[in-house]
Amino acid sequence: MGDEGDRGLVSPTSTMPRRSFVRNAVVGSAIASAGIGSTLLQSTPARAASDPTSFLPGADDLHVLRRATWGPTPELHKQIGTMGIDRWLNQQLAPSTIDDHACSALISERFPRLAWTLPQAYNHQDAGWQLMFDLGVAALARAALSKRQLFEVLVDFWSNHLNVANFGDSVWWSRHDYDRSVIRRHALGKFSDMLAASATHPAMLTYLNNAESTKDDPNENYGRELLELHTVGVDAGYTEDEMRTSALILTGLGVHWYDEVDDGTFFYNKGNHYTGPVQVLGWSSSNGSAKNGKAVALNYVDYLAHHPATAHRISYKLCQRFVADEPPAALVDAMASAYLAHDTAIVPVLRTMFGSDAFRQSKGAKVVRPMQDVLATVRILGIKPGTDKKDDGLDGLYWHVESMSDAPLTWVQPNGYPDYADAWRSAGGTLNRWNTHLSLAAGWNHDLKTPNLRRNLLPDTLPKDHGALIQALAKRLVFRTLATPHRDALLAFLGRAATDPISPSSEAVGWRLSYLVALILDSPYHGIR
Amino acid sequence: MPAISRRNFLKATGLASIVAGIAGEDMFTRMAFAATPYAGDVLVVLSLRGGFDGLSAIVPAAAADYGDYATLRPNIKIPSGQLIQLTPQFGMHPAMAPLKPFWDAQTFGVVHAVGMAQPNRSHFDAMEEMERAAPGSSLRTGWIDRVLGLREPGTAFQATQMGSNTAASAFLGPSPELAMYDIESFSLEGAWDDVERAKWDAALRALNGDAPDAVSAPSTTALDAIATAAALPGDGYVPAHSAVYPATGLGDALSNIAQLIKNPTGLQVAAVDYGDWDMHVDLGAVDTGWMFDKLTELSGALSAFATDLGATAMNKVTVVTLTEFGRRAEENGSGGVDHGYGQAVFLMGGGIKGGQVHGAWPGLAPADLIDGDLNGVNDYRLVLAELLEKRCEATSVSGIFPGIDATRFNIATQA
Repeated sequence: MGDEGDRGLVSPTSTMPRRSFVRNAVVGSAIASAGIGSTLLQSTPARAASDPTSFLPGADDLHVLRRATWGPTPELHKQIGTMGIDRWLNQQLAPSTIDDHACSALISERFPRLAWTLPQAYNHQDAGWQLMFDLGVAALARAALSKRQLFEVLVDFWSNHLNVANFGDSVWWSRHDYDRSVIRRHALGKFSDMLAASATHPAMLTYLNNAESTKDDPNENYGRELLELHTVGVDAGYTEDEMRTSALILTGLGVHWYDEVDDGTFFYNKGNHYTGPVQVLGWSSSNGSAKNGKAVALNYVDYLAHHPATAHRISYKLCQRFVADEPPAALVDAMASAYLAHDTAIVPVLRTMFGSDAFRQSKGAKVVRPMQDVLATVRILGIKPGTDKKDDGLDGLYWHVESMSDAPLTWVQPNGYPDYADAWRSAGGTLNRWNTHLSLAAGWNHDLKTPNLRRNLLPDTLPKDHGALIQALAKRLVFRTLATPHRDALLAFLGRAATDPISPSSEAVGWRLSYLVALILDSPYHGIR
Repeated sequence: MPAISRRNFLKATGLASIVAGIAGEDMFTRMAFAATPYAGDVLVVLSLRGGFDGLSAIVPAAAADYGDYATLRPNIKIPSGQLIQLTPQFGMHPAMAPLKPFWDAQTFGVVHAVGMAQPNRSHFDAMEEMERAAPGSSLRTGWIDRVLGLREPGTAFQATQMGSNTAASAFLGPSPELAMYDIESFSLEGAWDDVERAKWDAALRALNGDAPDAVSAPSTTALDAIATAAALPGDGYVPAHSAVYPATGLGDALSNIAQLIKNPTGLQVAAVDYGDWDMHVDLGAVDTGWMFDKLTELSGALSAFATDLGATAMNKVTVVTLTEFGRRAEENGSGGVDHGYGQAVFLMGGGIKGGQVHGAWPGLAPADLIDGDLNGVNDYRLVLAELLEKRCEATSVSGIFPGIDATRFNIATQA
């Protein structure tokens, strides 16, 4: 139920939701294996499914790091090994207990505009595009550098769930504040609070046109998406009439623009609010006076946040982010129960998820998305912003991700980026990922601070031969050795035998080293998580 | 559940639906397509981003109409004597002279006063809405993606955005597309010659070949596409028939697309963005300035493209331009035009009915304008629908453009 919208894949040729498609696909396979197959099926022999876990290290702690962070590092591996998984997760779920001043200082120094209030930004239309670009680059920088890794992953998750596309021409003064006072403020708080904050934020209200919605001329955009995407989901059983009522309830939630105040802040305009009895999905209000319209609207929003369908939908999406593309139903149910039992608090839902057997057994069930790929590469190679504050290389990093169509916060539709492998199979994106691995490993972006590969990735005493070299690199980059055929593919690339000795002047530890590093990152050992 | 590739997924769902007795007409349409590879026209979609002022390009020339136009645009109008007369009713900006021979050969045509279901004067919203092309529905895919969804999955090049590493939102959805800056740069950066490329190719195939489908399939597609691109001339391309492309991003993009068309790459839909039409100030004069320069480049590039491919190849190519909105009918105080509504669409190809200005013409008299704009009475989706039906093998467009009506403008011949 309720997961079509976020998948972005409403079937173009049918009203059948994607999930039904998937269910029927299973039926189709079952029919084929029962021998009823037609020539159609015979023409598409099933691919021998390879076991994704054969590319991953078996340890549970690395599994947690692959899912709960933007990319494991040797330091994090050591940290979680020392603390144990539970303590490490507890700390990540209480981000204020983690000292993160280095990252915060970098962000505030590098992006001073992000501290602007709404009115300050509103009075800087000339800097509007720059402000939005600052926000996008800062999102990437935080994900790469923050010690509050799980928090940053959740910021990305909620930014997509309550998407307001960056670089929209009606959010240039408000998108950065939305990030600060809606998403980051509540990312590990209560969903009901986050939803209420979004419903009263200029960015959401202009992005989904509620600011121009009036009782006489309602715009249904926000009223519809609030139901379909933000809360109960398209299958929750509301009617088109209820959807229209949803839009009427929300009239009046607006913005101070084109008025006497005109400072870009939230404004409840009671003159725009529809009055009269309203009813949606079991919630109702007499809604008798425009004066109380804001309270009525927020009561409705709060009701939706607490709806069981919302609990299920949020849990499903979290599961799809952290566990598997096709979330296990029992786990989703357990998370939804935790959500409702804790007044929409997010942390108990995450605890239920991370503590489950289904989570532990999901190794290899996700693939790395382009933005994760770039960040994981930056993190595993220890790449940092350069010391030149004007040109620290972060912009270039942003363009790498943008070239793979996964730049943070820029998905244009209200449903946010799709978070499952099928949506990310582009050949061009794949090539750009491979080229980005090499570019980062070789340090071609001179503005970034890229550690010397040999010193950073290899022991002082070099491995004795080419076979050992490849496995030492693999252990450092993907936390395990490569299967023999994959090791041999790299040896063939180098034109060497496994036993050919390594000397300090060997190509493989010289100019070919960045190629070897890139190829390991091009492999499923890095691409599956 | 186990991973299912998209290809298997579609076929399996097709069968399952039939067995379950719930297949709709479109399901059968999809199955029918699955048997035959695509053999329709290559559709080239040229997006004039920023809001293209169709009234500067295709000018109403009939006496009363021109009077309204001249009143609305006293400082930026094209003097009637300098218009290239197309029909008794319309003339063309003189900067578009390179397209006149194609007009005369009936391979260049226009649809005027084109609009969306509702005027939308925000660049961002209008562009998204135009490329989603499904007003009143909750579809979140782009129209080109839905076109591809009706066809048998093709090569990596089947849907290619040229000139940018990011595909337009018209491609959003499950069908894969390729976005590339150009053919030359679509390559592995570590492979500087064929020997090195072979090494990379072998290593990447060996590393990824036995991975789960979600990793191995795109890897294989990418490597095949890289090999295809490497075999094309790229920067060394020499256009045929002495065609000369402008040395600009648009010229480069179209000459790259010509290479993809001339070679067996499997290209079905190509898209190019050609922006910088947001002329709020200093639109310029008839023989100089912003609009003159842009139309000169656009006309030169389209003319070179059609010349390079030649009439025979152009019989299997349809070019259509789109823009998110037209401009206000009246000029503003800065010698420019603000965001408006009705736009002009250009068509090129051997299968379009050129030499005509298609579509109903609402006029520019004050009572004919919508909030000061040329009324976009001719729904752009009807233009696309007819091209898809007559030139691109679409037997039903209801899944591509939900709720579309049966009106057509008779702009193309049935292939």
